[in-house]
Formats: sequence, C-alpha cells, structure tokens
Amino acid sequence: MIENELRPLSRLGGTPTPKGNIFSDYTAPLFIAWQLNAECNLECLHCCEEAGHQMPNELTHDEIMDFCQQIVRAQIPYVAISGGEPLLHPDFFTLSEFLRRNKVSIKVETNGTFIDHEVARRFGQLGFRSVQVSVDGATPQSFEKLRRKGNWQRTIDACKYLVAAGVNTEIVFVPTKFNIHETGDVIDLAYRLGIYGFYTGKTMQIGRAAQNWDILCPSDTEYEQFFKVLSQKQAQYDGKMKVYYYPDDVIEELKYRLEYPSTSLLVIPDGKVKLIGPLPFICGDLRKHRLAEIWERYQKAWQLTHVRAFTQKVINDSRLLAESNRWQELSIN
Amino acid sequence: MMQFAEHVQVRPEKFGSVIFETLCEKVFVTNKTGAEILRLLKQHKTPEEIIAQLAHDYGCSIDLIRNDVEEFITNLTNHALLKNAHK
Ligand SMILES: C[S@@+](CC[C@H](N)C(=O)[O-])C[C@H]1O[C@@H](n2cnc3c(N)ncnc32)[C@H](O)[C@@H]1O
Ligand code: SF4
Repeated sequence: MIENELRPLSRLGGTPTPKGNIFSDYTAPLFIAWQLNAECNLECLHCCEEAGHQMPNELTHDEIMDFCQQIVRAQIPYVAISGGEPLLHPDFFTLSEFLRRNKVSIKVETNGTFIDHEVARRFGQLGFRSVQVSVDGATPQSFEKLRRKGNWQRTIDACKYLVAAGVNTEIVFVPTKFNIHETGDVIDLAYRLGIYGFYTGKTMQIGRAAQNWDILCPSDTEYEQFFKVLSQKQAQYDGKMKVYYYPDDVIEELKYRLEYPSTSLLVIPDGKVKLIGPLPFICGDLRKHRLAEIWERYQKAWQLTHVRAFTQKVINDSRLLAESNRWQELSIN
Repeated sequence: MMQFAEHVQVRPEKFGSVIFETLCEKVFVTNKTGAEILRLLKQHKTPEEIIAQLAHDYGCSIDLIRNDVEEFITNLTNHALLKNAHK
C-alpha cells in the first residue's frame, strides 16, 4: 500500500509532530503581510500603524519589483497588501499586476476612498483573492468619528463598485466605543451589499489606538454583547455570507505565537521585516538580506532569549504593546 | 479533466507539499506520495494515468494503488481544492 495523506491544518503552526505543522518545516513563508506605504489620507483614531505621512526611506520602485520577483521565485502563495493606504502608492497596480501574472493570490486592505467604477473594474480584471474595505460603522456619524477624514457614503459606494465588478469584496470592522452597538447593522448592510465576508475582532491597543485607548476601548459588557451579536449573525448568515470573528485579543495571539510562530513575514514600508505586528522587533531587511536569509533569521529570532523574555513581559503587561512601533533591530547570527 | 480550484496554491516541500486554499485561508499538507499525485494532477494527468504512473514508480500492482489514489483525489474534491473541468 502506498501511504498518502491530506491533512488540514486549522491554524498554521498547529500541533507539533507530523511534518508541516511547525513553521520551520517550510522552505519559505506561506504568507506575506506587506505594508507597502505609511502614507494615508485618513487620520483614524484607532490606527495601529499611526499612518499619515510617508516614512523616510521607503522602498523604491526597483526594490519593490525585486522583492516581488523573490516572492514569485520562493513560490509564496499569498500576499496581503496593506499600508497606510496602499492605493495611494504609485506602484500598487504595477506590483499587483506582476504578482497576479505569476499566479500569486493577493488581497488588499484599503479604506476604499480611491475606488471608483474604473478602479473596481481593474481589480476585477486582475482576479484579486479579495479587496477588504474598512467599514467601521453603519452610519456616517460613528464611521466619521473614528475615521476622522473618512466619508462613509464614499466607502459604501466603493463596496458597491467592487461587487458590481465581480470582485470578491470583504468588509473589516474594528469595534470601538463609537460603533460597537452598530455591529449587527454593519453585518446586515454587508449582506445587502453582496459582500463575500465580514471580519472583525477586538481592537488592538497599538499605535494611535494605544494613545486614544480611554476614548476607544469598549467595556467588557460591550464586548460581551458584541460577541453575542456576532455569534447570532454568524448563524443567521450561515451559507450566505461569511461572518468571521477572531475571538482572542492580541495578548492571546502573542501567547500562542510564542509557542507556534506563524509561517508568515510582515514587511514594513522601508523593507524592514517585523517578527510580528504587536512586537517591536525587526528580524530582517530587504535591503540587506535576500528573502531566504530573512526566513532563516525569522526562525532564529523567535528563539532569542531577549525576544522571548520581552514577549512574556508584554503578555504580563499589555501597556507594553505601545512599544510595537518603536522598532528594535535584532542582532542575529 | 481535473483542475485545481481558482484560489488553490500548491508548493512542494521537503516533507511533501503544502496546499493553500487562499479564499477560505485553509492550509493542507501532504506527504511525499501526496506531493507526487499533486504534481501529476498539475500536469493534467487523469486518475488512471496517475495510478499507472505510481504503480510503475513504486513497483506495485495497479489494484493495490487504485484505492489510495482515488481516495486522495476524492478528498481533494471534497475539500473543494480540485474540480472536474470540461475540456
Ligand atoms: C492599518 S489599515 C491599512 C489599510 C487601510 N488604510 C484601511 O484602513 O483599511 C489595515 C486594517 O487594520 C485595521 N486597524 C487599524 N488599527 C487597528 C487597531 N488598533 N486594531 C485592530 N485593527 C486595526 C484597519 O481598520 C484596517 O482594517
Ligand atoms: S486605519 Fe487605514 S485608513 Fe485609517 S489611518 Fe490607518 S492606514 Fe489610514
């Protein structure tokens, strides 16, 4: 008898033993989260990236395209492009076209401002895995209080253009004191718009969210109600629209990742590679290292005593999450 | 003709291969034999051709291999990773 098997992994990095269950079994990452730029047209109160202006020393066009070639050569299956607002980046469509031509799955996270009929059509032609639009409210009032320079109607129109262009469109909703009571309404709205999936989870105490935590953070009771609504809506839209929510907060995620690091890399606009979003550590630099080398450095970085000790400290004191955007380069041999 | 679904990505690995269904963000792994079947499916080989090829490579009878290959392919189809496409 030949021995073959097909094993689903519920979460990359899952349980140990058979091969393919821990990140070090893999020749390259399976996923790249790429923050293409830091520039943004909105000034969201909760922005984990503190986005606004361009970061000094962002990757150049040639460096971006070189990285894309490395992604293709390493057969990385899936890339998520974010920012800042990635649609503000002049190379966004050039790199997307290159990756799609080489069959890499892409999703983009966007605030939707720059999506009109024409842009939506372009996404449709490129066959993106999805376009994720941030819709943090069922009304202009709550949405625009959080997304200070945002325009709710324009964002909803962006979703409509995308759906009309046949793009797999998703909505991301970040709960805060201003909008948490509208969770169910946003899900209903998403369904009416023909959205493929709705995603949410607890707000991370990172970046501007950490600075504005007192006015943003929902109470325990509000979160309790939030998860009740989500569970009910998940049942209501079962088989019709994906309603996904991540039940853990960022601290739970860190605890898990300390044991089972993910099979992914997080690239920031200047080409530095972060170990994981909520920690300040930089484990590689696209300007100095090739992707294969960064993948090795990433694996070694998770073993460093200093990294493990600091992660444990953050787990014990979530206020340290505020350090996550004060990057520290790790020395890795 | 069998074809991988639209958002399915397959990559060879030292242990076999990894399949990433990026739409549902689900990951599957296979051992080396599974990887070989996937490689042949990528070349648009039919199940019969795959069975014959593996029987030849492993030096065992077609009957012995048939069940395993068919089960593997059914599994892929049930997980919506593979579909029957008309030529
Ligand atoms: C940083 S934004 C970049 C893409 C784009 N500008 C946008 O707003 O969609 C990526 C995603 O992170 C979410 N986000 C921002 N700050 C967050 C926080 N503190 N906690 C959880 N999610 C956050 C945004 O709402 C958005 O869905
Ligand atoms: S959440 Fe997105 S839209 Fe809002 S400031 Fe941050 S990057 Fe810009």
